[in-house]
Amino acid sequence: MSENAFLTVTDLRAGYGGARVLHGVSLAVGQGEICAILGPNGAGKTTLLRALSGMVRVRGDVRLDGADLSGRSPDTIARQGVAHVPEGRGTFMPLTVEENLRLGAFVRRDRRSLRGLRDLRGRRGGSAVDADLERVHTYFPVLKTRLKQVAGSLSGGEQQMLAIGRALMLRPRLLLLDEPSLGLAPMVTQELFRIVRAVNEEERTTVVVVEQNAHLALSIAQQAHVLESGRIVLSGSAEQIRADEQVAQSYLGYRV
Amino acid sequence: MSGPAEVTEKAARAAAPTRGRSLARVATARRQWIVMAVLLAVACYAPFQLVPFRVFQLTMVLVYAVALLGLNLLVGHAGQISLGHGAFFAVGAYGSAIMIDRWDTPHLATLPVAAAVAFALGLALGLPAMRLRGLYLALVTLAIAIFLVPLLKRFEAVTGGSMGLTLGKPVPPAWTGLAEDQWLYFLALAVTVVAFLLAHGLLRSRVGRALHAVRDNEAAAEVMGVRLSFYKTLAFAWSAMFAGAAGCVYTWVIGFVSPDSFALTLSITLLASIVVGGLGSFSGPLLGGLFMMFVPSISQDVNDAAPGVIFGLLIIAVMYVAPTGLAGLAGRMTRSITKILRKE
Repeated sequence: MSENAFLTVTDLRAGYGGARVLHGVSLAVGQGEICAILGPNGAGKTTLLRALSGMVRVRGDVRLDGADLSGRSPDTIARQGVAHVPEGRGTFMPLTVEENLRLGAFVRRDRRSLRGLRDLRGRRGGSAVDADLERVHTYFPVLKTRLKQVAGSLSGGEQQMLAIGRALMLRPRLLLLDEPSLGLAPMVTQELFRIVRAVNEEERTTVVVVEQNAHLALSIAQQAHVLESGRIVLSGSAEQIRADEQVAQSYLGYRV
Repeated sequence: MSGPAEVTEKAARAAAPTRGRSLARVATARRQWIVMAVLLAVACYAPFQLVPFRVFQLTMVLVYAVALLGLNLLVGHAGQISLGHGAFFAVGAYGSAIMIDRWDTPHLATLPVAAAVAFALGLALGLPAMRLRGLYLALVTLAIAIFLVPLLKRFEAVTGGSMGLTLGKPVPPAWTGLAEDQWLYFLALAVTVVAFLLAHGLLRSRVGRALHAVRDNEAAAEVMGVRLSFYKTLAFAWSAMFAGAAGCVYTWVIGFVSPDSFALTLSITLLASIVVGGLGSFSGPLLGGLFMMFVPSISQDVNDAAPGVIFGLLIIAVMYVAPTGLAGLAGRMTRSITKILRKE
């Protein structure tokens, strides 16, 4: 594992009420890496992401670039540049696509730069957020054609693109993706993963992706962890996990 | 056709629906302002054509509209519930009444104080209440309505106890040449217009976007960095402020406050009226105010013995015919009429 990791998680424990879900998870992700979290249903994959973004109470240590995130509120963590794309996308259905995207930049400090003010002719120059809106459009051209449309009218795949685009509006240092393939056609899923890879390569965004579709996740990840019953049972580079067919098969229940 | 041209055409075709839609949006926004201007002109003309009692009724519609505007902010836009907004209405009414009664404060000067007191109280009560959700929140806000009004009876020396306080009404300045009822009406109209502009500005800002996010998906709003408790409490305090301001104008108009005027039914009627008027809509508070003012008296006319039954049935009827409230119904009707007109 990388020596000077960007995200380090040490002995993370979390749960809901009395029910403990994570029993001491430790992992490290280097800057600009994609890390896949695999595992069967109920292993605690979603809880791990929710713990990282502050949505569940945690014990243990979470550090992002040295800064302690454990026990912080979700808005503080978002301000630190952690964008969480929740399971089921978290679309604001009655709002327009543009409103959804702009909400992604809610905590950005530079959301109202000088260039955002009206110039002498009363035209609005582009603020940094407007520029990022353009940036999201280059990744997801379909969103541009739907800007004024109500987000609830988008297809599942478009909503997932919107969710990821919205997360990018934060200019995240760490992107948490929870089951991006959920309920999507294989073609759409592949396209999504290709875009996630492109974002990772172009912006050096560190990504932690939870995924049932191990094959796809391993195809873009550098390293992977297999979670079972709240513990990491297998870690390694994506190639190792893929090669370790027998172990993977017994833990994942299917061929990788 | 050459390659690049084809591409441009494709891009243009892709962009066209967006442009069309945004143009339509601008048109509807402009139409909305035109409608508002016409409405305002009618509103300014009406009191000179109506008998004083009708003017009084319209004044009360405006008073209710201001309170409903606040409730709309909380229920329609932030997605929270309050069964206790009558209490904040009462706080504004009593605040104004006590200031006028004790210290002979000029009527108009009581408005900012009453609004501020209601805001502060909303903040203080909202802070613990807004950590709750759904039924629990409903119960806590219900408790606010239940304990606050009897509290008013307690401090008899200040509040006049169950006898209440009787006050003089604001006197129209001579230069206006208006009768008392007309002056009151224009005061209420001014407060309503300011309240509408305030709420409109609030909702168009970043804060408004945060409220909508909280309403539509709490979990997603939270990971986006929206502090749930902060914005919910703020929404609660604002809506209390609007209710307080409405209560203050109510005191000016009626010239009398007593605990019985602010019974639990007021809170429930307010909530019912904003739902009937149209949650989260622009015109909902005004339509709700009309409903709140005229439907009880109409049902009284229909059947003297059971106005409550008729009122209840009418609420059910409206919700059945127009689940998005009267505002939604009006919008639907306008659309179908335009469609018919276009066809001909």
